[in-house]
Amino acid sequence: MFSFRNYKTIIFIVILLAAILIVLSYNLKQKSPAWLIKKVVLEVAAPVQNILNASVKSVSDAWSRYLFLVGIEEENKNLKKKIDDLKAQLILYQEGYLEAERLRNLLALNDDYNFKFVTACVIGREQVTLSKTILINKGTAHGLKTGMPVLAGSGLVGRVIDVSWHAAKILLLIDESSNIDAIVQRNRTQGIIRGAGSRGYILKYISKTQDVEEGDVLISSGIGGVFPKGMMIGQISHVDQQEAGLFFKINVAPSVDFSKLEEVLVLIPDRNEHKGE
Amino acid sequence: MIYYLLWPFLSILLIVLQNTVADVIFSGRLVLEISIILVIYAGFRFNLIKGVISAFILGFVFDCIAGSVLGLFTLIYVLVFLFSFFVSARLVTERMHFIALFTLICVFLEEFTVVLFYNLAYGFDILYNRPVVFLLQALIVGLLAPVFFYMMRRVEVFFYGKSAQSAERTGTGRIPAET
Repeated sequence: MFSFRNYKTIIFIVILLAAILIVLSYNLKQKSPAWLIKKVVLEVAAPVQNILNASVKSVSDAWSRYLFLVGIEEENKNLKKKIDDLKAQLILYQEGYLEAERLRNLLALNDDYNFKFVTACVIGREQVTLSKTILINKGTAHGLKTGMPVLAGSGLVGRVIDVSWHAAKILLLIDESSNIDAIVQRNRTQGIIRGAGSRGYILKYISKTQDVEEGDVLISSGIGGVFPKGMMIGQISHVDQQEAGLFFKINVAPSVDFSKLEEVLVLIPDRNEHKGE
Repeated sequence: MIYYLLWPFLSILLIVLQNTVADVIFSGRLVLEISIILVIYAGFRFNLIKGVISAFILGFVFDCIAGSVLGLFTLIYVLVFLFSFFVSARLVTERMHFIALFTLICVFLEEFTVVLFYNLAYGFDILYNRPVVFLLQALIVGLLAPVFFYMMRRVEVFFYGKSAQSAERTGTGRIPAET
C-alpha cells in the first residue's frame, strides 16, 4: 500500500502539478508562446503524421477513384454543361475585375498589406475535445511565423499558433477560442465571428436594430491586423430573433469545409516590398 | 531509463495515430482518445513516480500536437492518473466491466474539466449540442478500454510469463513481472 510517509514522492507530485498550473496560466495570458520543446515535438510529429497521412490517403484515393468511375458518364455531361455556364460567368467577372483595377489605379488606392503565399499540405487534423487545429508541412524554414493568416481556396481557415522548423499548427476559425472581426458584405454591418466547433461559427454583437438575414455573406474586416480585409468567412445560416437580449443570435456556415482541407495557403506579409514602395 | 527516453517518441506516435484513425473513421466529428485509456492503465499498473511522469509526458505531447492551450491536457492526464492510481489501491480493478465503467467516468470527468476550463477562461457557453457528442465519445472509449486492457494483459503474459497486477496491491510499488 502506498504510504503517505513517502514525502519525496508527494513533494515531487505537488511540484509537478504546480508547474503544470503555472504553464497553463502563462499560456492563457501569452497565447501559445514559442517554446523550443513544442517546436521539437511538432518537428518529430510531422514526419510521422506525413507517413500515416500518405498511407491513409493512398487507400482512400484508390477507394474514391473506384467510386468516381461509377456513373462518371452522367457526371461528365453535367460538368461540361457547368463549365460552359461558368465560362460565361468568368468573362463577366474578368470584365468587372479589370474595371475595378482601372478604377483603383485611377483613385490611387493601395492595399495596406502586400502578401505572398506559401502553399502547404495538411498533414494532420487534430480535433480534441473543443479544440480544432491542423498540422501543415511548412515551418519557419519557409518563412512562417505565429499569427500569420491561413486561407483555403474558398475562404479563411485560421491562423498559425505554433511553428517548428518544418511544421506548423493552425488554429482553425471553428475553434471556440478563435475570434475574428467580420463585416456583412451586403450592408457593412460589423460583428465578431467566434468559432463554434461542429456548428461552424457564431456571429456576435449584432444588435436587433440592424439588418441581417439568412444568406448574407460575411467577410473579414481587417481590424486587428491579423487577417487581411475582404477575405470570405462564411454565410449566415440562421438568425434567431426570439432570443432575449440586445443582440441577435446568428449562426454562420463556414465557407470552407474543414473536414476536407488538403492544401492551404499561408499569407506572409511582404514587408520588403512595402518598404521599397 | 530507456523507458523514459523512449516514452516521448511512443507518445508522439500514439497521439498522431489516434488522431489519424479518428479522422479517417469519424471525419473529425468524434475523438478516439486511446491515450486516456493508457493513462488509466498506468494508474492501475505503474508505480506512482513512473505513472505520473508517463501521464505528464503523454499529456504534454497531446497538448503540443493537438491542443490549443498548452498545459490543459497535461493537467487532466496527471489528475486522471492520480485518480486511477488511488482507486486501484482500494478497489479490484481487474474486472472488465469495472474497467469500462471507470474509463467512462474518467472520460466524462475529462470532458467536464475541459468544458469548465473553457467556460471559466474564455466565458464560452459550449454545452449546447455537446452532450450527445460527449456521451458518444465516452461510450466508445469506455468500450475500447476492456479491449485495450485485454491486449495489454496478453502482451504482459507474452513478455513476462504472467499477467501484471495493480502496483499497490503487490505492495512492492512495481509491476511484479518486472521485479
